[in-house]
Amino acid sequence: MNSGQFSNYQTKSFFDEMFYFDEKTVVKPHYEKVYKRLNGLSADELDAKRSQAVSSFLEHGVTFTVYDDSDGIERVFPFDLIPRVIPKAEWVIVEQGLKQRILALNLFLHDIYHQARILKEGIIPKEIVETCPYYRKEIIGFDVPQDIYIHICGSDLIRNEEGTYMVLEDNGRCPSGVSYLLENRAIMKRAFPKTYQSMEVCSVEAYPELLLRTLEHLSPRQSQKPVCVLLSPGVYNSAYFEHTFLARQMGIEIVEGRDLIAIDNYVFMRTTLGLVQVDVIYRRLDDDYIDPLFFKNDSILGVPGLMEAYLKGNVSLANAVGTGLADDKVTYAFVPEMIKFYLGQDPILESVPTYLCWREKDRNYVLENLDKLVVKPANESGGYGMLIGTASTKQERNDFKFRIKENPREYIAQPIISLSRHPTFCDEGVMGRHVDLRPFILYGKDIEIVPGGLTRVALKKDSLVVNSSQGGGSKDTWVLKN
Amino acid sequence: MLSRVADNLYWMSRYIERAESITRMVEVNQSSSLEFIEDALSEFWEPVLKAICASEIFNEHTKIDIGQFLFFGSGFPNSVKNCFLYARENARMVRDQLSVEMWVELNNIYLFFQSGQAEATFLQNPQEFFQKVIKFSLVFQGLSGATIPHDEGWRFMALGTYLERADQTSRMLDTLTFQKHEPTRLDLLAVLRSCVAQTAFRRQYKGELSMTNVADYLLFSRDFPRSIRFSIRCIDENLHSLSGVPSGNFSNEAERLIGSSLAMVNFTDIKIVMSNGLHQTIDDLQRKLINVGQCIFETYVLLPFELQSAEKSTFIQAQSQQQ
Repeated sequence: MNSGQFSNYQTKSFFDEMFYFDEKTVVKPHYEKVYKRLNGLSADELDAKRSQAVSSFLEHGVTFTVYDDSDGIERVFPFDLIPRVIPKAEWVIVEQGLKQRILALNLFLHDIYHQARILKEGIIPKEIVETCPYYRKEIIGFDVPQDIYIHICGSDLIRNEEGTYMVLEDNGRCPSGVSYLLENRAIMKRAFPKTYQSMEVCSVEAYPELLLRTLEHLSPRQSQKPVCVLLSPGVYNSAYFEHTFLARQMGIEIVEGRDLIAIDNYVFMRTTLGLVQVDVIYRRLDDDYIDPLFFKNDSILGVPGLMEAYLKGNVSLANAVGTGLADDKVTYAFVPEMIKFYLGQDPILESVPTYLCWREKDRNYVLENLDKLVVKPANESGGYGMLIGTASTKQERNDFKFRIKENPREYIAQPIISLSRHPTFCDEGVMGRHVDLRPFILYGKDIEIVPGGLTRVALKKDSLVVNSSQGGGSKDTWVLKN
Repeated sequence: MLSRVADNLYWMSRYIERAESITRMVEVNQSSSLEFIEDALSEFWEPVLKAICASEIFNEHTKIDIGQFLFFGSGFPNSVKNCFLYARENARMVRDQLSVEMWVELNNIYLFFQSGQAEATFLQNPQEFFQKVIKFSLVFQGLSGATIPHDEGWRFMALGTYLERADQTSRMLDTLTFQKHEPTRLDLLAVLRSCVAQTAFRRQYKGELSMTNVADYLLFSRDFPRSIRFSIRCIDENLHSLSGVPSGNFSNEAERLIGSSLAMVNFTDIKIVMSNGLHQTIDDLQRKLINVGQCIFETYVLLPFELQSAEKSTFIQAQSQQQ
């Protein structure tokens, strides 16, 4: 262990994905081949592989946009060459847990927008649901196509100090990142072909096909080949690359609001040959923006009249309207109850203990212990607006105290979990950096998960925030076949 | 295909062709300008600036080097840097229509201009810079011929390329009519070279370099790919292959206009043009070509009911017809 790229590597007190500590640092068996290959590389070879990866991303325009960034609009999502490896046995359990979870979330959404049994039986407080900004009372009683609400779900998983997988949050609106997963894999196969082959890694390439099948499953016109489109907010959206990538891989049109037109409760796209009826819209646009007439705003991104066509059943949307309720971090706290209530099962994957500032008892505890907790806004994404107690100043804590008291419903707190770490190439050499995992779950005729997901890594030293907008990068994730 | 996608492909090609034309023009004129002392320089460039409608904007930016203005001037909407920015923005919206090679080439030239590397190369080694830009455009055109299907989208790209090319050639020719004096040998050669036509011209006219011959060649050559007649014929062919209507007939206003322009260049000769006035003829042609562009948009992008009520249309033409 004391030579090569990993010579100065220390696991410290963290749970490390690649090594365990038993008097000395030892490589875990499922990482042995990766370790040998990387450790044998010279610094020059490594640099060459890294710059190859970066220029490949840049040339292909695999970029994302950071809002409010003055130094240029597009950036390459930093990519780390050390793959994360997950043994089959671990993955099988994670997969079962994710399937259980998406089932429960869908049953929950169906219930909320129909009989609301879970509220009537007092398992989830009614007030919580009704005050969620993404709760859409407009669709109460509406039967969504195939009775599925969340067709594409990205749940973020972390591992705690013991290595236990836990769900950190669910993204049931428009989770992004799957294009990086696919591009990362393409690059790794080029950079380390032999290692990849010899480790027998599960392929992820089927994702676009599975996604298209999931979308086609929703078509209101089953008599003919469904016309599916991907609705994007446009070229300035941070995930635009992903939108074109997926549309291209599926062979469907990528449209913007102005390409669609609703006439007499049907939706059409404008083509050079005239109007063509659209059956399924994979929309990468939040509810608020899809129809300015229905959601009463002056959004120019959406399609006036789309919601009428949707409610008449003439066009399907993926994900359905109203799924943001499942993203709410207050709702998140009740997922274990949902699993018991709807499925009669115990949750396979743990959740992170969550204090709801909305509850007086929890709030008092949070206010007393701000320096030990992480406080998150209930309805933000991208890692914005968080307070990490241990790394905060007194001023920031006072600021948060004020905000929590002002608006307790909008804040939750969790104990700070020291995410597992993974060896990562940094300027100083190979260092341990915190990682999470975002798998992508597809719910169509069946529930399908491409093995693994996008491993996100916090590149800044000691940082626990992995979001790309906060200086995070990504790794390829290798789930082993055996 | 999606109407907007057709529109994006059309504009992507137009901007690339425009960038190439401007580059060729500056390359040629910069070498000619070496024959002049510095005081006479602004007079030398004036006809060129006039022909590309940049004269007024340039004069607001005194003290800028003309090359830097035409390539990088942020205040000049058609600077080569801006052309590549717009071309790439359009391409970004239709990446699924392009081959990976096409995208990579376009993205690389865009990054080259954005990084400041372009400006440095331009200052240190202008020749290398010109070659790089021109080569990009040629490689891109080669790739679009060789790596994607020649389907509907490809036709819209061709329409953009040839409309722009006809327009640019007519502008190059027009510089001769903006001269304060009779065009000199040097002026005539500069125009031919801006259109890469000097060798082909010599072969046809065996050295009889005159204003009439130059105008005749650039307007009416049957087979020179940058002549106005050649470009108009390509526009006509592509429009008819989009609609399926045989050439010589028309099913929309764009086809009618281009058909009448084609008849004009097919059945006029240079004597008539010179007696009517070269500038007048060029001006009429340019106006017709702008109308053709507008009619393509109305035919293939707008819906019939939006034509009548322009204000109700949510689909406003985002990219103005330049100049």
